[in-house]
Amino acid sequence: MSTSQLVFFGLAFATLFSAVLVIAARNPINSAMSLVATFLFLAAIYAQLLAHTIAVLQVLVYAGAIMVLFLFVIMLLSLTHLGDPTPPPALHQVVGGVAAVAVLAGLVVAIWRWHEMAPVGRAREGLLRFGTLEQVGGLLYTRWLLPFEAVSLLLLVAMVGAVVVAKPRI
Amino acid sequence: MPPIPNLTAADFLPLWPAVVLSLAGMVLLLSEVFLKATEREGESVRTYQAVFTVGAAVLAGGLALSLTFEPARAVFLAFAVLDPFSSFITAVACLGLALTALLSDGFLRQRQAERGEFYALLLFATAGMSLLALSNELIMLFVSLEVMSISTYALAAYLRRGPRPTEAGFKYFILGAFSSALFLYGAALLYSASGTTHLAGLASELGRIFADPSSDRRLVVYCGMALVAAGLAFKVAAVPFHMWAPDVYEGAPTPVTALMSVGVKAASFAALVRVFLAIGRHVEPQVPVLLFSTLAILTMVLGNLLALPQRNVKRMLAYSSISHAGYLLVGVTALFVPQARAGLPGVTVLAAGTRADQADALRAILFYLLTYTVTAVGAFGVVGALERREDETRGFGWDVDRFSGLAQRRPGWAVAMAAFMLSLGGIPPLAGFMGKLLVFRAAVDSGLLMLVVVGVLTSAVGAYYYLRVVVYMFMRPPPEQATLAPHQWGTEVALAVTAAAVVLLGVAPGLVTRWLGPAGHLFGQ
Repeated sequence: MSTSQLVFFGLAFATLFSAVLVIAARNPINSAMSLVATFLFLAAIYAQLLAHTIAVLQVLVYAGAIMVLFLFVIMLLSLTHLGDPTPPPALHQVVGGVAAVAVLAGLVVAIWRWHEMAPVGRAREGLLRFGTLEQVGGLLYTRWLLPFEAVSLLLLVAMVGAVVVAKPRI
Repeated sequence: MPPIPNLTAADFLPLWPAVVLSLAGMVLLLSEVFLKATEREGESVRTYQAVFTVGAAVLAGGLALSLTFEPARAVFLAFAVLDPFSSFITAVACLGLALTALLSDGFLRQRQAERGEFYALLLFATAGMSLLALSNELIMLFVSLEVMSISTYALAAYLRRGPRPTEAGFKYFILGAFSSALFLYGAALLYSASGTTHLAGLASELGRIFADPSSDRRLVVYCGMALVAAGLAFKVAAVPFHMWAPDVYEGAPTPVTALMSVGVKAASFAALVRVFLAIGRHVEPQVPVLLFSTLAILTMVLGNLLALPQRNVKRMLAYSSISHAGYLLVGVTALFVPQARAGLPGVTVLAAGTRADQADALRAILFYLLTYTVTAVGAFGVVGALERREDETRGFGWDVDRFSGLAQRRPGWAVAMAAFMLSLGGIPPLAGFMGKLLVFRAAVDSGLLMLVVVGVLTSAVGAYYYLRVVVYMFMRPPPEQATLAPHQWGTEVALAVTAAAVVLLGVAPGLVTRWLGPAGHLFGQ
């Protein structure tokens, strides 16, 4: 196993572990903090994939801005009552859980059986400049112009929708 | 730096309907600012918003119809297509938008909830539907899907007076976000297997993978396909991904429910057809046939059976909407039956040479979507007109009893509602019957006898709960202290138009099917 593989598996394990902690933690603050850890480890994986821009954005936007909002909400709600212990799972929850595990198993088998994981035979020197801000920006404003413009409509819709939903009474 | 692409005016041609719709939405948002405070509280000033929306919808729909005469081609660096199929879907979505706006005017005025944002979100949602119908690339498709979905999430939570609408908005948002994630994961797997997100490139790469018997990527492709199918099946509310539909349809404002059941469904079906025609025809042929016929049978059977015990008409119409997705899936299955049909599950070969071409199935799906649009909007329109404000605040749905004796109180509405119910049940000579006939004929021609038998049997089951509404309207005495909402011109116009269309499409379907000729052509097929 090469060094980069070792680093990747370490990061992947850490990501999954902190992601599980997010849903397993009983205290919402612990949950939010594990989410920050998940975002940071994910950012490290992006950086390892040479997507530097995405890694920086991940830290700035998710681990920074969005998490602050999360923590504000948790603090304002001041959740002291942590709820009753979970009731035994109902039948549909068991069936759903089994189905979810089956989907996961299918995905694991599918990816396990697939040996060469790089479909695009990119040259090494091309990869080194692959995730830079210049490259991403250049692609966004040339080839990916139409989806980029569609995203601007999406942001407008999200903003108007958020205002409509946040209005106390219509 | 990648080279600057050389775009011409022709590249923007298919985007015009979406541009018109989104510009109209922005104008409405801004116009709200210029209303004086007195006018803002006033009664009828805001009718201009509904009229403006209808105007924009008619303009965009007309543009879309004029685009159907253009030859099919890929535009905008192959991110979008200009083909008659997508233009017709846009036109159907615009029709749904215009009718919804007419219904909304009276509905919102009764509740003192007229706001420019409501109509703006309707317009943005329709722009998303138009973009979704013409996307030819998975990321573009996903962004358009989200434009459409996020507008409808906000619209579903627009009137939050009571627990039920709040639940509807929340449920729709959470489950919708979940289904988008499924779609995205599937798209990522398809990209990792093929190295491209363009549907055309994806198709040729999958062709190469499946031509090579030793390829180790097949399972990944199937996983991606299954996840993409699950994501889109959520949007069209196909069983077993239908759980959200009854609660959301019941809790959302009734005009929004109408748009969700027609426009969202039509655009999602367009995306489903386009994605699967690209990826489904290069994999082993029994896989898509098995996938879609299972979905179709489950949806038809469960949608109709679950609608049977419903006395709440809005909820019954939600289950009916699910079952109609099942009939449409029969048409979709027919698209994937290849020329050589031996050994396929559920396919009975009747005689050589009876195979309808794919174009027939596509035309049948489009015609069905059109008939369902006019019928369902009309039915939800009557439901909305009878709805009272306290229905939303009390945590209690409303009963079929509300329809008792409607024939004596409002004969026009009763006759229109009867037409919609019979059309939904597929009873000749109304529009719903012609739609089912065309879809089932395409399926029989492809040898899908099993599916057609299930379809016909479940429609017979459906007749029971549709006719119950008719019986209540015409054969039960009206309740003692019946108060009815005053007449609203928008509702009356919408009901008149839809009722006329339901009869016309049933009696003279040739008026439309003649136009649908080129729509059987999907770019790249």
